[in-house]
Amino acid sequence: MTLTITNLRKRFGEIQALDGVSLKIEPGEVFGFLGANGAGKTTTMRIVLSLMKPDAGTVTWNDRPAHDWPRRTWGYMPEERGLYLRMPVVDQLVHFASLYGVSRATARREAQQWLARFRIAEYADRRAETLSKGNQQKVQYIATILHDPDVLLMDEPFVGLDPVNVALLKAAFREMSDRGKTIVFSTHQLEQAEELCDSVAIIDHGRIVTAGTTREVKRSTGHQVVRVATGGDGDLGWLRALPHVTVTRDGADYAELHVDAGTNPQSVLQAAIAHGEVLHFEVADPSLEEVFVERVGALDVEERTLAAAPEARA
Amino acid sequence: MSTWSNILAVARREFDVRVRTRTFALGTLLLVIGVVAIALLPVIVQAVEGGSSTKVAVVAPTEALGQRASLTITSLLNSSVVGTSSADTPDFVVTVVDDLTTAREGVRDGTYSAVLGMERAAGDELEFTLYTNDPATGKTAGLLQQGANAIAIGDRLDRLGVAPANQATLFAPAEFDVQWPDPERTDPIHETVASALGQDMLAFGMTILIFMIIIMYGNWIAMSVVEEKSSRVMEVVLNAATPFQLLAGKVFGVGAVAFLQYAAVVVAGVVAILAQGAVASVVLGDAAAAAISLPEGLTPGLLLMFGIYGVLGFLLYASLYAAAGSLVSRQEDVNAAVMPMSLISTAGYIVGVYAAMGLLDIRAGWIVVLTQVPFLSPFMMLGRAATGVAEPWEIVLSIALLVVTIGAAIWVASRIYAAGVLLYGQRPGARAVWRLLREGM
Repeated sequence: MTLTITNLRKRFGEIQALDGVSLKIEPGEVFGFLGANGAGKTTTMRIVLSLMKPDAGTVTWNDRPAHDWPRRTWGYMPEERGLYLRMPVVDQLVHFASLYGVSRATARREAQQWLARFRIAEYADRRAETLSKGNQQKVQYIATILHDPDVLLMDEPFVGLDPVNVALLKAAFREMSDRGKTIVFSTHQLEQAEELCDSVAIIDHGRIVTAGTTREVKRSTGHQVVRVATGGDGDLGWLRALPHVTVTRDGADYAELHVDAGTNPQSVLQAAIAHGEVLHFEVADPSLEEVFVERVGALDVEERTLAAAPEARA
Repeated sequence: MSTWSNILAVARREFDVRVRTRTFALGTLLLVIGVVAIALLPVIVQAVEGGSSTKVAVVAPTEALGQRASLTITSLLNSSVVGTSSADTPDFVVTVVDDLTTAREGVRDGTYSAVLGMERAAGDELEFTLYTNDPATGKTAGLLQQGANAIAIGDRLDRLGVAPANQATLFAPAEFDVQWPDPERTDPIHETVASALGQDMLAFGMTILIFMIIIMYGNWIAMSVVEEKSSRVMEVVLNAATPFQLLAGKVFGVGAVAFLQYAAVVVAGVVAILAQGAVASVVLGDAAAAAISLPEGLTPGLLLMFGIYGVLGFLLYASLYAAAGSLVSRQEDVNAAVMPMSLISTAGYIVGVYAAMGLLDIRAGWIVVLTQVPFLSPFMMLGRAATGVAEPWEIVLSIALLVVTIGAAIWVASRIYAAGVLLYGQRPGARAVWRLLREGM
């Protein structure tokens, strides 16, 4: 029961959208797909879902081609939310589920339960266009999972949600994961990925830059992060003199540095003790954001703004 | 999930959301009212016209002449075959007025419909002038001219010395009957224009209906596709159903709406026509209620052909409308995208209607060839069949060609649809569409 993506290639006119994408996603995993706009996330998802044909490459689920599996195996939440705006909420949830073969009565009952759980039960018979963007998004999520798919692919599921709803959605993710569902989602918000994902992949210009468990990816740069704070006069200038160390953040009495692979961070501690009182010393893996910046480059200003202020997208 | 249950689910949604709207209910109601009104038009016209009399003032040089004019007009015109007068409401009520100026004033203020002025000219002949706001060639003027002729003849007979009693027999209406040209035919002759409607006129009307169904509901389908694209709901349903299922579901769903709407209209129309007699006897009284039946040309054969060409024409065009809709992403662009279908159907419709009306030679070779073209036959075959110039093999061949073309059109349309529905932004040109057809997405 593994989702195996092998050497996908897809070209749109002049643009090579996917340039040999390969991934292995284990069942029951929460998998984060990280990349800038146009990196190839949506195209990969569409090919996995057989909405699009690759120029080359294969996708298998449990060793059988993905498109051989019944449609109800897959749940898809596209990046652009799509609902029938003039249709009552519960009616369209029933319609979507019935397309996957769920009986209308069952779909109606379960839709009501989910709506209650997401605290929007009172909107069940309202037309979708009367709901706020955040509530529409919750309806969209219910539409994705109502037919109980084994694999969920979600494009930017957290965009546009306020913190309360982000928490609700995260809880729903974990529950699906506990029930053995495989969840693949793309995101700009690297903190979300770091918090939720068992594994991640970073994609750039149609190529997988790095992939693996979240921990492996965080360690993939080879260096570790050391945070150190000292007492005394607080002059940390001596840090710059240390070999195999790069200072990334420099405060009055606090510093953050990268320690190159093969160098023991303890050497920094020893140097610190030699220079005075150590108030704080921490060795950690780089954050996903740091890995991303190092491997791909910073997300451009626009994308950062969009990721941070999701309602601007709506 | 099986193909059919998904097609049904999509069709069901299309049907439900349309039929439940207020605009649909209102539109259907208006159509039904319109059709019933048209069907009952003869009764309505009779009720309006038959219920009132035309008031005519006569201004004569002598009182005796005025009396004669009044008598002649009332006796002659109120017994006319074209009249619908009854004892209570005669067609013409005549008043003798002394002063022409007063009488003309009376027409202007609505007291009279017309003033018939009489003068004795040189040579003792009577001269007549009609003062009226009605048209000079209208029914009132025409009938009063007949009356004037009779008055003039009576006046000449007077001067020749024929006694008034003898004149009465002279002016008694003659027996006048209307019969079929065919001596074998014994059924009653058509009473009104409506019942005399031939098959060709019916075919003409049915062609208009088919054209309206295709244009109106075809556009609905294209709009509905674009709506799903612009609201991005397309990507959600596309994960559950194949493009073919979505396309077929839309065509069937909207087709069912069309069928429902037209069934309501046809049933209402037929019921109204059949009920004409009953309605007439209530509104006009038993005497005036003539037996009215369905137009004779409305044969089961013609109705069946209307059904076949209507349904097949709709299927053919509807799938192409859906494909065209899938190529654009905004409502504003729909018209441009469906332009090819609009042009072809309009061309077929115009040629078909012109041929049916006799403006084009319906037997011409090029018409026969065009009638076989699947995109045109739904508009052209009814006219040829109704006028009896189409051979049975022509009809069978055109239906077979239509069915084959529908299969091909649905295949092409679902290819375009499959590729088009995920295509946003610039509308693809012909070359891009061709590439999509060959390679798929």
